[in-house]
Amino acid sequence: MSPGRRIVSGVILIVLLGYTVWAVWPYVWTAMMSLRTTEEILRDYYGLPIPAHWDKFTEAWTRFGFGNYLRNSILVTLGSIVIVTSVGSMAAYAFGRPRYVFRGRELLFGLIFISIMFPPQIMLLALFQLLAKYGLINTRLGLILAYAGAELPFTIYLLRAFFAQIPAEIEDAARVDGCGEWVVFSRIMIPIAWPALTTTIILNFILFWNEFAYAVVLITEQKARTLPLAVMFLQGETFVDVGMLATGMMISTIPVIVLYMFLSEWFVKGMTMGAVKG
Amino acid sequence: MRRPRVVGSFLFLSPAVVLYFGFVFFPVAMTFYNSVHTLKADFGFETQFVGLANFAEILGEDVIFRRAVVNTLVWGVAAALLEIPLGLALALCLYFRVPLHRAFRALWFTPVLMSYPVVGIIWLWYFNYDWGAINSVLRLVGLGSLVQSWLSNPVTALPSLILVTTWMWAGFNMVVLLAALHAIPQEYIDGARVDGASVRQVVLNVLVPLARPTIVNLMILSFIGKMKQFALVWVMTRGGPLWATETVATYVVKRAFHWRTFDLGYPSAIAVIWFVIVLGLSLLLTRALQRRELIQY
Repeated sequence: MSPGRRIVSGVILIVLLGYTVWAVWPYVWTAMMSLRTTEEILRDYYGLPIPAHWDKFTEAWTRFGFGNYLRNSILVTLGSIVIVTSVGSMAAYAFGRPRYVFRGRELLFGLIFISIMFPPQIMLLALFQLLAKYGLINTRLGLILAYAGAELPFTIYLLRAFFAQIPAEIEDAARVDGCGEWVVFSRIMIPIAWPALTTTIILNFILFWNEFAYAVVLITEQKARTLPLAVMFLQGETFVDVGMLATGMMISTIPVIVLYMFLSEWFVKGMTMGAVKG
Repeated sequence: MRRPRVVGSFLFLSPAVVLYFGFVFFPVAMTFYNSVHTLKADFGFETQFVGLANFAEILGEDVIFRRAVVNTLVWGVAAALLEIPLGLALALCLYFRVPLHRAFRALWFTPVLMSYPVVGIIWLWYFNYDWGAINSVLRLVGLGSLVQSWLSNPVTALPSLILVTTWMWAGFNMVVLLAALHAIPQEYIDGARVDGASVRQVVLNVLVPLARPTIVNLMILSFIGKMKQFALVWVMTRGGPLWATETVATYVVKRAFHWRTFDLGYPSAIAVIWFVIVLGLSLLLTRALQRRELIQY
């Protein structure tokens, strides 16, 4: 390498390291603040967490209700994932296999497909009205059903493409052995489709875990809040407890970061698949 | 032989049909119905038919709506023109295997993993007048005259929010573009190199043109995505100062729940207009692309 090119690559590397700091500094800064008291932070915003106040997490958990918010987030996310994945995979299977062709099937799929492009506002106010009517406002079940409905079209769209490419021989062989409709689906198709299912589960996990627009409309009581709402309301208080806010933000972010560390390629794949979503 | 098939399609499709019609189709139809009514949320949703009066008012005299539409479109266009070129530049660096490229890819992707409220609050701190990182850096490098309260100035508020979404999504676009670059057959690059093309020529004449479909695709997706922008505005500025960051999505929620009229009809009409515009744009732009297949790995 000539000296000139070495300088150029050195400059590029420094720029990229700078960009990395720009990209991840918010995590690092929030993590540091989450271990410092508000008093320490107000003295020096960029100080190191020495000594580290790990007890702030206990305090957030008990006194600020983050134990409850975390539980709400986990239950809502898991509940929505279970519903959208099971309901969605069944429908995707029926839409994807030639065996189940019936008049109007493509029309029904077209209707579901086009819903991928709907802006959420077209449903949001009516959902509020509907859930209020059936006593589901401020309940985890109401939020779960709204989330599952919202992500159902895209989940069906992704899985249908996968089910459609499974060779018919596999299905036929099982039928010759006397397997019924349900057994073929649950014992044979689902195991084959598992990689595609994992991808949609991860995509839906990140969407539901971080969801805000539906939650802010459909949840009005404190006890039903999910983590994104809890974080926003803590910020909205008259005296903003910066240190506690940072702790709450870490509680809502740590689960995602931990999963990303172990499953980063799955996250990248699942979320970029979401990029085709219009 | 025919019966199990009918039973099968019914068995597999009915849960989805119930969920879809109950929580997607019916709410959409209801919003259309509501848009020609006045609904008093505080009187048990008492409805009153008003015809197209809501639409006439929104399109004719609602200056806030007009402002929200302009803001949202500006955001969509700016995002498409900032996020994707930045993502492409980053992807090209990684494509030529700079040192640490694997770590860079994993780290640059992380901003999209955070929820909008967390991102919004961090950036509220970044933009803080007294101790925010932005002003601190400006003071440090001697540009103290540029120091200002970024989010309370109507001129800088929207660009500040656009900066936040650019920070958030550049790495995401980088990952998709890197995959597209890796999908280009190595022979093309080798061939160009053998013919004496410089790295710059390879980038401009081989890599970028061949990645063009992905670039255009991402621009459209980024634009459409910003048409729905709600959370970041809600957390950071609530549409202020003076409607400078109001988006259509925040205006709908504001009119529904934070307006003293407590009327769900008017915001439903806004939602219907926006629904038609966004759906129309999405169909038009994806049709222009003529390809809607998944990004291949």
